[in-house]
Amino acid sequence: MNLRALPPPDLSRSQILIIEDFEGMRAILRDILTRAGASRITLALNAANAINQLERQRFDIILCDLHLGQGKNGQDILEEARHRALLLPHAVWLMVSSEKASEMVTGTIESRPDDYLIKPITETMLFSRLSRQIEKKQALAPIEIALREHEYLKALRLADAALDKANPHAWDLKRLKAELAMHSGEHGMAKAIYEEALSLRNLPWARLGLAKIHFNEGRYDDARRELKAITDGNRAYLEAHDWLARTLDRLGDPDGAQEVLQRALATSPRAPLRQLHLGEVAVKRGELETAALAFQNSIELARNTPLKSPQAYLALSQVQLARKQTDAALNTLSTLSIDLRGDPAARLLAEAMQIPIRLQTGELDLARELAQRLAGELRAEAQQLPPEAVFNLAGPLLTLGDKTTAGALLGCLISNNHEHPEYLERAETIFAEAGFGSEGRDLVQGAARAATDIMNRGVKLSREGKLKEAIELTREARRTMPNNARLLLNHAFLLIAWMERHGREFTLNDEARRCIERARKLKPGDKRAGELLTRLELIGNDFEVPA
Amino acid sequence: MPAENAKLDISTFLLSSIHDMKNSLGVMAAYLEQALAETGEVTTAQQAAARDKTAQALYEAQRVNNHLIQLLALYKIDQSFYPFDPQDRPLADLAREVLARALPLADSKGVTLDCDCPEDLYGWFDHELVLGVLVQALHNALHYSRHRVLLSAAALDTGVIFSIEDDGPGFPDFLLDQGNAAQRGINFETGSTGLGLYFADIVARLHQAGDATGCIRLSNDSRLGGGCFTLELP
Repeated sequence: MNLRALPPPDLSRSQILIIEDFEGMRAILRDILTRAGASRITLALNAANAINQLERQRFDIILCDLHLGQGKNGQDILEEARHRALLLPHAVWLMVSSEKASEMVTGTIESRPDDYLIKPITETMLFSRLSRQIEKKQALAPIEIALREHEYLKALRLADAALDKANPHAWDLKRLKAELAMHSGEHGMAKAIYEEALSLRNLPWARLGLAKIHFNEGRYDDARRELKAITDGNRAYLEAHDWLARTLDRLGDPDGAQEVLQRALATSPRAPLRQLHLGEVAVKRGELETAALAFQNSIELARNTPLKSPQAYLALSQVQLARKQTDAALNTLSTLSIDLRGDPAARLLAEAMQIPIRLQTGELDLARELAQRLAGELRAEAQQLPPEAVFNLAGPLLTLGDKTTAGALLGCLISNNHEHPEYLERAETIFAEAGFGSEGRDLVQGAARAATDIMNRGVKLSREGKLKEAIELTREARRTMPNNARLLLNHAFLLIAWMERHGREFTLNDEARRCIERARKLKPGDKRAGELLTRLELIGNDFEVPA
Repeated sequence: MPAENAKLDISTFLLSSIHDMKNSLGVMAAYLEQALAETGEVTTAQQAAARDKTAQALYEAQRVNNHLIQLLALYKIDQSFYPFDPQDRPLADLAREVLARALPLADSKGVTLDCDCPEDLYGWFDHELVLGVLVQALHNALHYSRHRVLLSAAALDTGVIFSIEDDGPGFPDFLLDQGNAAQRGINFETGSTGLGLYFADIVARLHQAGDATGCIRLSNDSRLGGGCFTLELP
């Protein structure tokens, strides 16, 4: 027998959380851990209890059952814990499951647990996986810390340094490195890793990585080809299905997108964002019944999770209105104001979106009263309103004669999206249908021109070396168009250029970072955001990575 | 509405029942393992007989449990939703897990279970599937062996190879034929042994790198004088 038994990991000082609804399994796990000296073991019987414990203290090891009966599952708990930074950088999260599930094969750094344990769980299995992961997380903790600080470049270099040594997790690290490279706008580096992996064998995660690069760089046909190569053979790779649907959307193929989403939902229906996407695609295809069901599912699944947002409620109420189910539409809005009562924009939307419904039911007085009461607040909150809501609200406001508010909302929308031809067209159409064609065109074109003009002036000033003036200009413009991704990135670029010359300044650094993060939220996958983050990180900094 | 009920897909019930049976047998096997561990020193013939019967029950429970796990995996593979996920992992970690699943049975039968696996050997494989194949093959070898079973792993130019050898009577000719038939992809009888071989063959074939594909082999070329099962992965 040349294979030595591994010594059990030393768990005598570890804080351990076991999240498991089945009593027998809890006892088995606790007994095994106790044999490795663990004494600080906390038990959680359900998701709410688990979140509570995770809020209260920081654990070194979390063993979590993937399926916890009704309500949130283990994956939901993990994502919420990551999202709310409830985990230590070196914390090991092992997901326990009775079988290999499709959730286990894809996912991003943010959503993957450290490892999966498939039942039956033996002592040997638990100890060897724990030892490996504890060792790995200790080694990777500096990368994790850099990641949390959004220092992707530093994280990348740390990953490189770790890869230089013989590493038992070489491919985990390479996969992580590729994801970091994507965050830093280093698509070439990510592509090289994915291609290296694919030269070894047909690995779905590597092919998905390549597809995402194609997608982010606008090569939708290439993205479709790679994604179909994953999904055609196997419907377990759910994330690839979601990306394929997104790609088909971009390629103007809603029929294909709906088919792909429905296939993925047949495998795994508990996915609020996938349900939301299905609803949106179904609306495009005019299948309102399918859309309503999907939005309803999305709402139910996202309730009590960090994924809930007004989007699905507004879309559902809109579909119900289109199907002349006005009572149901009003009902949906009141559910919105209850479910998201902590969110002032949601509350405002829940009220304001009654206006189009009241108009349709002929309750003109009610509609007018609402419009008058909310006009000021709508104009003040214009920046927080989602585009679809603005489009659905502007027409009714014009019908009620409130050209000022309608114009303010649409003007604000265009200022933030001046490079979005479809939005410009829709805004002009709304004015035209209300009989304000030329006025509307002036307002829309004017807002778009003003935005373009500011961009051009900023570029010109910076070329002339007048960085300070350029910064003043874009900073001022940010007040009126805080959600214009290009402006945000331009502003960040100028701040970075200034600091590259004059040294890092805390407030400017912070301002630039906020701009980039905001722009990234508005336009996920934009390569320029990553590149600017990298430049920002580099100012006055050349990371000393210990060899 | 009986007409509606009749339309309900029987496969739904089959699947959930298999799940249920699998979990139940898993618990049963765990209890039997515990019982064997708690038996302690055997001093009387009566105790020895009780221990042997418990060991036999454990073998049967594990055998059926493994078959159910294999059935579920095969169903998913057949329906194109098995999340096949090869990863580059140390073979020694896999070997330890496989041994842990077979040691209680080996101990109770008084068979020496040896393992020869380098610590620094890596391979690309789907952990759960390959674990399933090896545990099944090991249980089988333990059942037929007299005193010794050897699990070994080694590097090949084209990948890695796992071997399970025993000192039993060796595979009968008809099984050697079935094993070879499996390699050629010919459909064969799916008796209980047939399922295990079929599963091993499917798992081996899922593992591909470039033009190379995994394969299984049955022979009586065991270094211990009995049967030898090998799994080659590219």
